[in-house]
Amino acid sequence: MLSLKGVVAGYGGGSVLQGVDLECAPQTITCIVGPNGAGKSTVLRVISGLLKPSSGEISMNGETIGDRSPDEILRKGITQVPQSHALFPAMSVRENVLMGGYLIRKNRALLRERLDMVLERVPIVATRASDNAGNLSGGQRRMVEIARCLMLDPKLILLDEPSLGLDPRSLSGVAGLINELNQAGTTVLLVEQNVRLGLGLATHGVVMEGGKVRLTGTASAVKDDPEIASLYLGGASASSPGGPSSGGPKAEAAGV
Amino acid sequence: MTHLVQAIALGLLIGGVYALMASGLTLIFGVMRIINIAQGAFLILVAMLTWWLWHETGIDPILASVVTTPLMFGFGWVAYRLLLSRIRGSSASMSVLLTFGFALVIEGVLNITAGNKFKSATPSYFEESFRVGAISLPKAQVFGFLAAMAVLAALYFVLTRTWTGRAIRAATQNPSGAALVGVGATGTAALAFAIGSATTGVGGSILSVLYPFFPASHYDWISRLLGIVVLGGMGSLPGALVGAGILGLAETLTATYGSLNWSTLVFYIVIMVVLLIRPQGLFGAKLREDTV
Repeated sequence: MLSLKGVVAGYGGGSVLQGVDLECAPQTITCIVGPNGAGKSTVLRVISGLLKPSSGEISMNGETIGDRSPDEILRKGITQVPQSHALFPAMSVRENVLMGGYLIRKNRALLRERLDMVLERVPIVATRASDNAGNLSGGQRRMVEIARCLMLDPKLILLDEPSLGLDPRSLSGVAGLINELNQAGTTVLLVEQNVRLGLGLATHGVVMEGGKVRLTGTASAVKDDPEIASLYLGGASASSPGGPSSGGPKAEAAGV
Repeated sequence: MTHLVQAIALGLLIGGVYALMASGLTLIFGVMRIINIAQGAFLILVAMLTWWLWHETGIDPILASVVTTPLMFGFGWVAYRLLLSRIRGSSASMSVLLTFGFALVIEGVLNITAGNKFKSATPSYFEESFRVGAISLPKAQVFGFLAAMAVLAALYFVLTRTWTGRAIRAATQNPSGAALVGVGATGTAALAFAIGSATTGVGGSILSVLYPFFPASHYDWISRLLGIVVLGGMGSLPGALVGAGILGLAETLTATYGSLNWSTLVFYIVIMVVLLIRPQGLFGAKLREDTV
């Protein structure tokens, strides 16, 4: 569905991404993990068009999108939920969600239909409809941010650290919503600092380091990889806190 | 008692006109963090144009805004594209320098073309008043107030009920969040600057009737408008409305019970006291996320 080949990109000073190869199969949840500065969030920014790659190819269902503007990419069905502060604080929750449909604003019937769908899927949009988004808690805000991006009925959702700053209860709500969306057919690509949570939620895992992809594989394979365990989890593998697992399937090393 | 009611009525009429004049300034600041020091010069430019139209054709000065408003909309659009878009992303102080320079250019051009003399448009109803019981309301001020309220209502409608307005408010509150839903930053900013400039189309027309002016009058006006916007809360439209009402009332009440010379000073004292208690202004946004 989504494919990145040899993508190089940066912010002027130098390249943050140094040849990233990545694949997302339809209806999967792929989680990118890695230390700070590995380029995880930059991958999402490049896909959503907020940052132009200097070389390499990005394609969605076989169509090149690397040279498109952010709103053209939105129209292709790719939406991004950034790390934080994506909402309009002095607008009501309902208006915030409505703004998610800015690109389909001319089609009133479709807009109405999507809003009804979102209200049903994310109940907080209905219960807090007339409250200002700036007055919601962190967890509620994240739910509204995800709800807003559903207005375009995306094929692919990019989530940047959905767990950031959330308490366990809000976290399970957000994780539940991501799972529901995925079961309804949406492909998800997320970046997570919280490796256990991210890989627990995902079907596939990608490990990044120094602007490159180090490892890819199924989420459980990546979770159980002894190298990952020692790199990011302080010696214990993610799925068996007792020690590095030896029986799990090995993740395949990706062209390091 | 009659004096008091008369002063309050006049204060509110003047306040309504001030509110219209300040609305463009606060809108432009809200969306682009541009402090448009040239807003006063825009007003004088329109006043001069209105005076000329009235003088040459005899058209009613306030009705002339039907011509000047679209003109100022286009003027604002072009000014943003050619001039202000170049300092996008710079600090607000940069915008002060640029728009101050712009104001000086407009003042200079007006000095050369229109001359450095006081002007005032005086339509037939200029010295007539409506009488309501014991109080009298000058017709020019009533018409000015009504025109100002009509424009503010239209502005409110555009900002809250249309997609253009939602896009402008979204870009005001969170530019990167707006980009994520497909709101283009440059287009929205140019539109907001054009709308903000268009408000001076009506504002300047009213000014030409109510206040004598000459090219350098824009210094007076911009300091008044900045005072209103700071008092109300930078970027807040309801704030501009209330701030303008307070200035109008401060002026007429001081003029009635004290002296005309003190009226502006009283307003600035009000500003200082309010800012000591509420540094963000009366309607400066304070949301949950500001406190965490």
